Amino acid sequence: MATGPAWAATVKVGVIGPFSGPFATAGQTFKQAVEVYQAMHGDSAGGNKIEFVYKDLDQANPAQSKALAQELIVKEKVQYLAGFFFTPDALAVAPLMDEAKVPCVIFNAATSAITEKSPLYVRTSFTLWQATVPLAQHVYKTGVRKVVTAVSDYGPGIDGEAAFKTTFEKAGGQVVDSIRMPLKSTDFAPFMQRIRDSGAEAIYAFLPAGPTTLAFTKAFADNGLKDKIKFFGPGDITQEPDLPALGDAAVGITTAFHYSRAHDSDLNRTFVAKHKEKFGNADTVTFTSVGAYDGTHLIYRMVEATGGKPDGAKAVEAVKGLSWESPRGPLTLDPDSRTVVQNIYLRVTERVNGALQNTEKETFAAQPDYGYKLGK
Amino acid sequence: MQTVLGIAIDGVAYGMILFIISVGLSVTLGLMRVVNLAHGAFAMVGGYLASFAAQSLGLPFEAAAAGAILLTVALALPLERLLYHRIYGSANELAQVLLTIGLTFVVVAGINYLFGPTLKRIPLPDYMEGVVNLGPKAIPTHRAFVIAVGIAAIAGLWWLLERTDFGVKLRAAVDDPAMAAALGIRTERLYAATFALGVGLAALGGILGAELLPLEPYYAIRYIVLFLAVVAVGGAGSVFGSAGAALALGIIDTAGKYLIPDFGEFFFYAAMILILFRWPNGFFQRRPA
Amino acid sequence: MNPHLRDAAGAALLAAAGLAAFWLFPEDLGLLTRIAATALYVLSLDLVLGYCGVATLGQAALFGTGAYAAGIAAVHLVAEPMVLLAVGGVAGGLMALATGALILHAHGLTLLMLTIAVTQIAHEVANKARWITGGSDGLSGIAPDPVLGLFRFDLYGRTSYLFALAVLVVGLLVAQRIVRSPFGLACRGVREDALRVAALGGSPRRTLIGMYTISGVFAGVAGALTAVSTGIVGLDSLSFSWSAEALVMLVLGGAGRLYGAIIGTLAFMAIHHILAATDPFHWMLFIGLFLMGVVLFAPGGISAAIERAAGRLRRAGARA
Repeated sequence: MATGPAWAATVKVGVIGPFSGPFATAGQTFKQAVEVYQAMHGDSAGGNKIEFVYKDLDQANPAQSKALAQELIVKEKVQYLAGFFFTPDALAVAPLMDEAKVPCVIFNAATSAITEKSPLYVRTSFTLWQATVPLAQHVYKTGVRKVVTAVSDYGPGIDGEAAFKTTFEKAGGQVVDSIRMPLKSTDFAPFMQRIRDSGAEAIYAFLPAGPTTLAFTKAFADNGLKDKIKFFGPGDITQEPDLPALGDAAVGITTAFHYSRAHDSDLNRTFVAKHKEKFGNADTVTFTSVGAYDGTHLIYRMVEATGGKPDGAKAVEAVKGLSWESPRGPLTLDPDSRTVVQNIYLRVTERVNGALQNTEKETFAAQPDYGYKLGK
Repeated sequence: MQTVLGIAIDGVAYGMILFIISVGLSVTLGLMRVVNLAHGAFAMVGGYLASFAAQSLGLPFEAAAAGAILLTVALALPLERLLYHRIYGSANELAQVLLTIGLTFVVVAGINYLFGPTLKRIPLPDYMEGVVNLGPKAIPTHRAFVIAVGIAAIAGLWWLLERTDFGVKLRAAVDDPAMAAALGIRTERLYAATFALGVGLAALGGILGAELLPLEPYYAIRYIVLFLAVVAVGGAGSVFGSAGAALALGIIDTAGKYLIPDFGEFFFYAAMILILFRWPNGFFQRRPA
Repeated sequence: MNPHLRDAAGAALLAAAGLAAFWLFPEDLGLLTRIAATALYVLSLDLVLGYCGVATLGQAALFGTGAYAAGIAAVHLVAEPMVLLAVGGVAGGLMALATGALILHAHGLTLLMLTIAVTQIAHEVANKARWITGGSDGLSGIAPDPVLGLFRFDLYGRTSYLFALAVLVVGLLVAQRIVRSPFGLACRGVREDALRVAALGGSPRRTLIGMYTISGVFAGVAGALTAVSTGIVGLDSLSFSWSAEALVMLVLGGAGRLYGAIIGTLAFMAIHHILAATDPFHWMLFIGLFLMGVVLFAPGGISAAIERAAGRLRRAGARA
């Protein structure tokens, strides 16, 4: 059956993500999803064994990201880079990718401009524009006319704010206040005061998933805003690992996102079950898991297309336009933006059988990355 | 007007948490002349022990908090005898900074090993849940509770320092350690007691402040600058100074974040610089720190 | 031995060791480059801490100013590496002069807090001025010209490392001259007894500001060197933890000896590299214990331990 040489060289993939520190759960989901993919599809593609090397980057630190990538390329001799939870970390490696001709598969970072920085980036997560445009349109349809936006002051936050404002105002609504919160904030009381004073009917919020979203959502409920102002945002706010800690504060939040663990498909049920089988529980399965899972799928296809040989341009060409079924729904890699075109679901967080989940209520089919090369 | 009130209350709540945690550092710095950068670590340990007691052992909040504070003090006292004792005095400033940084690193690594990297929460008792309506402004009940505890702490410490024997001896030892010892005051026991008091207050602050300053392993490193700022601005050794500094910085920080959120981080440090220019030894100047 | 000869020997030893590392670790040149640039940064801290006795947690403000100045110049104005180093040095020096004049009248905890506050404000300024510094995304697109028009900066780091090593060796030689000069002795006088220096007609504050400025130049050059050799400047170069790490590295190596800065940097970064790959918290535990051990049992750090050992050998040799 194997028609290649008697042994084929191992293809190494360098994964950079947060495996320690406050966002360690996300890195863990990367690793687990990769292992689930390997359990379901084997650890080779086209006769070439694929080996994943993991490097820890616990926060947004572009200089360290570049250093780790350099080590992966020069010392470990990886053919592909992957991972990246934070936008600054993903952006930093562009010059290395171009010089060494190494493609990078983004498992999470969600700012549209990243894929513009190098033709060798491909992204299997989502972008803020992609999730926010249909959400803003929906918010307008529900009759809300005055919204306040509150985002973390960095790349994706600014993207989210711009995406919401542009779309909502185009539909005829009004963004009464735009609040940008320092990325490291832990005490949100002053921002809650400002939100209350804005006189808005609803809020659009984005913060990086994890301790920050948890603190913000709790503060929102604790300051008595939950009953006064409707809460909308991308699904980072209600990622599955945080739901137990949020408790009732999360019920009723409406989010737009590309993946819910409660997604009703056979492939998703298998995906979740495999996590439970391998790791004992599936509590941490969330959007970063599918980002990694589908990223691994792309890596496998790229290795097949290049016969396991390092040829970055050929690898990326081969997967442009590729369509496949993911645990989240159908995906196609957009040949222009190199971000996946996918369904964005409108979800409401509710209790089902005693546990909290993000129930999908509506589907916005085949949403592209609206923010790619905007205004250019 | 209600906005001003709202900001003031939020600022006071934040300031009270800073005060409760930092006042212990101020007293130990004023008395033992030790720049204890591990102070945040004691607050963190108190918080973690309370979280563990409440979540894993199922103890009610009050028992968990009390137990955590006592256990933290019990763990810290041997450190005072073995480590801190060797580096008292203002000649050893750099040594103190480095020893306590090293201790902080060890505690951070230990906490991560024992409890993992994720955030820990302390489940609040029912009477602290929910929202309290002070007219038009609603604040979380928990914060109102913190303000009350802060006021009680200021009053309690004032009474302790001004009206008890212990307080008299402590103030004497702060003002002139050699003379105090010459007069027969057992300075060693005083130091140990004061250290215990400082650590206990830090632990209390860590537990009460867990909603604002979330418990995760890097807590000790992340927030130590805030605590040092309160002590520097308030004046080492002064309880009222720490209270004033904490409230001032808390209100300025909150107001700044409200008015210009994206420049939020500037206000705290700009305020600190300006205050330290005007009062280099802090609000209530005792000896230079 | 003639002190000048000893200095030169030290610098020669450094150069030789550096070149040996180049041959021995060809795949780790990225790491070695960062060690060399960081050693220069820690050296700058030694000038002000070891020789003037000023305890500061604000060295990162000087380093970061130099790094961003060089980075911004590289992206918009000029890409010649030597010019970029000069830009960094000038920027660091000016920052030191301005802030030093404002805060060096303070002592102890107050001074410490002021240096921290300056660093935090610089950090926030860089964060907010996204349009020119890149904000939290970092400043990238730094593409320096080949050194001397011949040696290109590439992915593998050969040029970066040799360039950084050369700058470090030159920096060490310059620092050695400075600390042996009358000015350097005046600084040590201020460290020992500022009151006496004033009584003798000197100006402690002006001396401190002078050395602080020089230290700022060194730190700025180190920052520019990092920007040029890694091609990116991040906000972490202006962080409190970067200041604290410099302090830790200096103390581990031993302050007040110049070469202690280099040894401390090498030890710290090498151990960090090895241990952090396993689990970052193991590294924290190790460094924490090491730090406590040094303070309690070996004040003066690795270099003091080396000198004590060398002293014992000399005495043993003399007796033989």
